[in-house]
Amino acid sequence: MESNDIVYLLPLLVVMIGAITMMLLSTFSSVSIKKGAYYSLMFLFVALISNLYNLNSSSEIYSSYPYIGIFKKMIIVDTYSGYFSSILLFGAILTLLIGLQYLEKHKEFTVEFFSLFLFSVLGMMLLVHVNELITGFIALEIASLSMYVMIGFQKVLDKRVEASYRYLVLGSLAGIFFLLGTSFIYAVTQTTTIGEIGEFAQNYVGTDMPLLIIGGTMILITFLFKIAAFPFQNWVLDVYDGAPLPVTAFMAATFKIAIFGFVLRLVLVDFDSIRDFWDDMLFVITIATLAYGSFLAIIQTSIKRMLVASSIVHTGYLLIAFISIGIIGESAASSIIFYLVAYFLSAIGAFGIVSFISSDERLRITYDDFKGFAHVYPYRAAMLSIFMLSLAGIPSTIGFIGKFYIFTAAIEAGYTILAVIGIIATFISVYYYFKLIAIMYFYPSPKIVEDVPFSGVGSITIGLITILIVWGGIGNTLISYFPGVDFLIDMARLSYESLFIR
Amino acid sequence: MDFSILSVIIFLPIFVVFVLLALPVGAKGSRNAAFVTSIMIFILAMTVYLNFEFSGYMQFIEHHEWITSYGIYYSLGIDGFSLIILMLIATLIPCAFLLLWNGRTKAYWVNMLLIQSGITGTLFAQDLILFYFFWEAMLLPVFMIIGMFGTGNRVFSTIKVTVYTIMGSLFMFICILYIGVSFFEEFGVWSFALQDVVKISSFTRSEEIWLFFGFMIAFAIKIPLFPFHTWLIQTYSNSPTGGVFLLSSIMAKLGVYGIVRFVMPLFPDLYIEFAPYFVWLGIFGLIYFGIAALMQTDIKKMFAYSSASHLGFIVTGIFSLNAYGMTGALFLIIAHAMATGALFLLVGKMEYNLKSKNISDLGGIAKQAPIFTLFFMIMLLCIVGLPGTNGFVSEFLIILGAFGMQASAGIVSALTVLVAASFMFWMFQRAILQDTDNDTSNMKDLDLKEIIGLAPIAFLIIAMGVYPDWFLFKIEPTIQHYLVDILQIKAS
Repeated sequence: MESNDIVYLLPLLVVMIGAITMMLLSTFSSVSIKKGAYYSLMFLFVALISNLYNLNSSSEIYSSYPYIGIFKKMIIVDTYSGYFSSILLFGAILTLLIGLQYLEKHKEFTVEFFSLFLFSVLGMMLLVHVNELITGFIALEIASLSMYVMIGFQKVLDKRVEASYRYLVLGSLAGIFFLLGTSFIYAVTQTTTIGEIGEFAQNYVGTDMPLLIIGGTMILITFLFKIAAFPFQNWVLDVYDGAPLPVTAFMAATFKIAIFGFVLRLVLVDFDSIRDFWDDMLFVITIATLAYGSFLAIIQTSIKRMLVASSIVHTGYLLIAFISIGIIGESAASSIIFYLVAYFLSAIGAFGIVSFISSDERLRITYDDFKGFAHVYPYRAAMLSIFMLSLAGIPSTIGFIGKFYIFTAAIEAGYTILAVIGIIATFISVYYYFKLIAIMYFYPSPKIVEDVPFSGVGSITIGLITILIVWGGIGNTLISYFPGVDFLIDMARLSYESLFIR
Repeated sequence: MDFSILSVIIFLPIFVVFVLLALPVGAKGSRNAAFVTSIMIFILAMTVYLNFEFSGYMQFIEHHEWITSYGIYYSLGIDGFSLIILMLIATLIPCAFLLLWNGRTKAYWVNMLLIQSGITGTLFAQDLILFYFFWEAMLLPVFMIIGMFGTGNRVFSTIKVTVYTIMGSLFMFICILYIGVSFFEEFGVWSFALQDVVKISSFTRSEEIWLFFGFMIAFAIKIPLFPFHTWLIQTYSNSPTGGVFLLSSIMAKLGVYGIVRFVMPLFPDLYIEFAPYFVWLGIFGLIYFGIAALMQTDIKKMFAYSSASHLGFIVTGIFSLNAYGMTGALFLIIAHAMATGALFLLVGKMEYNLKSKNISDLGGIAKQAPIFTLFFMIMLLCIVGLPGTNGFVSEFLIILGAFGMQASAGIVSALTVLVAASFMFWMFQRAILQDTDNDTSNMKDLDLKEIIGLAPIAFLIIAMGVYPDWFLFKIEPTIQHYLVDILQIKAS
């Protein structure tokens, strides 16, 4: 049905048109950063609404290939992609709202930035819609290339340029693995379409499929690189630290969601029958990621680097559930989706608040800069504390519920030992997260802090995120008509089911 | 949306906190609000007490859906054991607030109220996840109170105690999840409710032992039981008076409560099997911490060790596997909470007035502050276990219980309980009675509201010592229920 197809693709189209519009608008000097941000937000909102319309209009789960005559089976629109796109769009909106003040304050940013931003959102959304490996590569590169430029946007700062180049070189290398893996898979299966590869693997189950497994491993390497799992985590500290704060938040939280969105589809649909092969490897990688990430996070003195290093630990938690997918697909996959949302909310809030504090002169914000922060800025300190508690997984925050799902899934799958190691990592994380709270509250403020404005949409957005985090941790069904904790995980389960209607 | 009285007891302080944060109230206004709240909770708790039926089972049950996909319910209920601790909290907290009247800032009172919510939530929760929720959430206000208002190396000690306790509770968390998953595998539905998970029969022995110790470590750290006590001294001596009061007289008891509420019904066989070891561990704690207390020159540290010593004795009581020991342990929970709590408050006052808590700096206080000395003495006699106080009744019952278990345990505990308490008299003589060269003229006597705060505690200590039956009859069925139905031991 033609008319439905265009509705299905509308979110993607709106973002693409938005990106091109912003590029054209950037030539007009009358368009300020603020205006540019609001135009981009408008496009993102329209995309989000049309996306939610798709999700909502079909009460049951759905799955369809829009314009199958043109695109063949390259792009798929199902509950899964709809759910992921909503999260991605929501994340992009929050990032822009929070980052607006930072972008305004730093003069190097121009309206082209928003064009790149929307292109990277487009790439991410495409990534969760793709049903074919080459398209997946293109989507990944759209998102990554825009990201490389956004990192280095402030060309006057060496640190930014260095981070940008580092990410460009290493990211391209990781991308090549993806292409090579795809060609191996094509060599043996004569197809790059997700689903058909799965059928092939299903038909030959029990026989050796070396090329398929090598190809899959190579794609897995790209995945592990992008989510910064051990041993591919070395780039992450310098790149995330070198990037402007809004971009760091965007990469750490939103980009990771998109990558997981793509890989979960690939693994669940295609590699279901040969997944056991990677179990031992992933087991070791998970433990190493948790251990090394915790170690890195403890030794940092800069808040931004601590948050970045701890994102490696959170990758480790996600991998715990990822490895459990083989045994209990549904609860593990939905726990990953839930945890991604939980982490994204907490991280974007934390990065947001830190970005309010950083000014041109001080690029490094250390623990000591936060001494007595609570006495000067009580609201910001309270919110930052809630984000830290959520990242540490303390009850009454969404992070606790996320950890509950992850660890329950791991135990259900029989990986109790991984759950125990995850708990030890959590225990270590209490130290570096609580340290920040302690420093904010328990020291008198030593020097007169310059008055950093904390107002406007950014602060309201961060306040909203705080409420979401607490609501996500305690919200229940007592208040009818309002989604509680169950809502996200139920949606995640529905989107999981939609993967298998073909 | 019908909330039972238990929910009101839990959430009233939190509600008050939100109101306080929203309004521009100062320290005094916050204090008054906190005091009124605690009085209201006392009235609510009295209502619960009067309506509590004479039986050993859960009452005032409340049940709401929370995380439906995993069968987690917001479910509350209380039995005789939690009722007694509830009454203890409800009585002690308003009294303590009267002695903490000069409490410094709004943040202080906000955190005090939050702790109260966490404690009552822990006490009522009937779902393992809900229990864990309150158990861990309760740590945050404690973390803030010690860190913001403590003395000495407060930042280090607050991080130490938080990390230490969270370590214990995280392992308990894994155990809870493991139990939930096992229930799902055996019965095909998700549930974390206590009355459901006790039905699990699929555990192997090694699984049970792991889980048993996973729970026990969390509770042992909170109590603290030897050898998990290393956080204790620094935390107690660096805490503000209010914090150390809550830690010693109420939160430590929640560790004991957790053992009785969760470990006993979940692993009854292991509970019986390991009981003799824990009885001896408790007695060892009694002696070890008693000797450690003897060495202290700092009154606060001395009381900290003395508190740990008595908690060891409480553990002896609950593991004695008979009605005497259990009743005695419950009685000692009350007696110890009252006496130690009051003593810490009194020492806090002394420290506030004299800027010192070293025994060698004190002396001659009896002349300066006779009423202070009187109350100090009553609490001290209760700790020592003089006949006529509830301390005597409880220690006597526990010794009987220990005899019931092993004659040698009974003999050792009977001999050491007095020796371990002897340091109290020595300290009392040096710090309070004896005249020294130290200038203690700044010591002020108790004022009227402090007397009003301490009088009910002193009255209860003596009343419970003279007529213990009045206070015991409501909990007898509960203890019988634990022994006969859960542990399957014949009533003695």
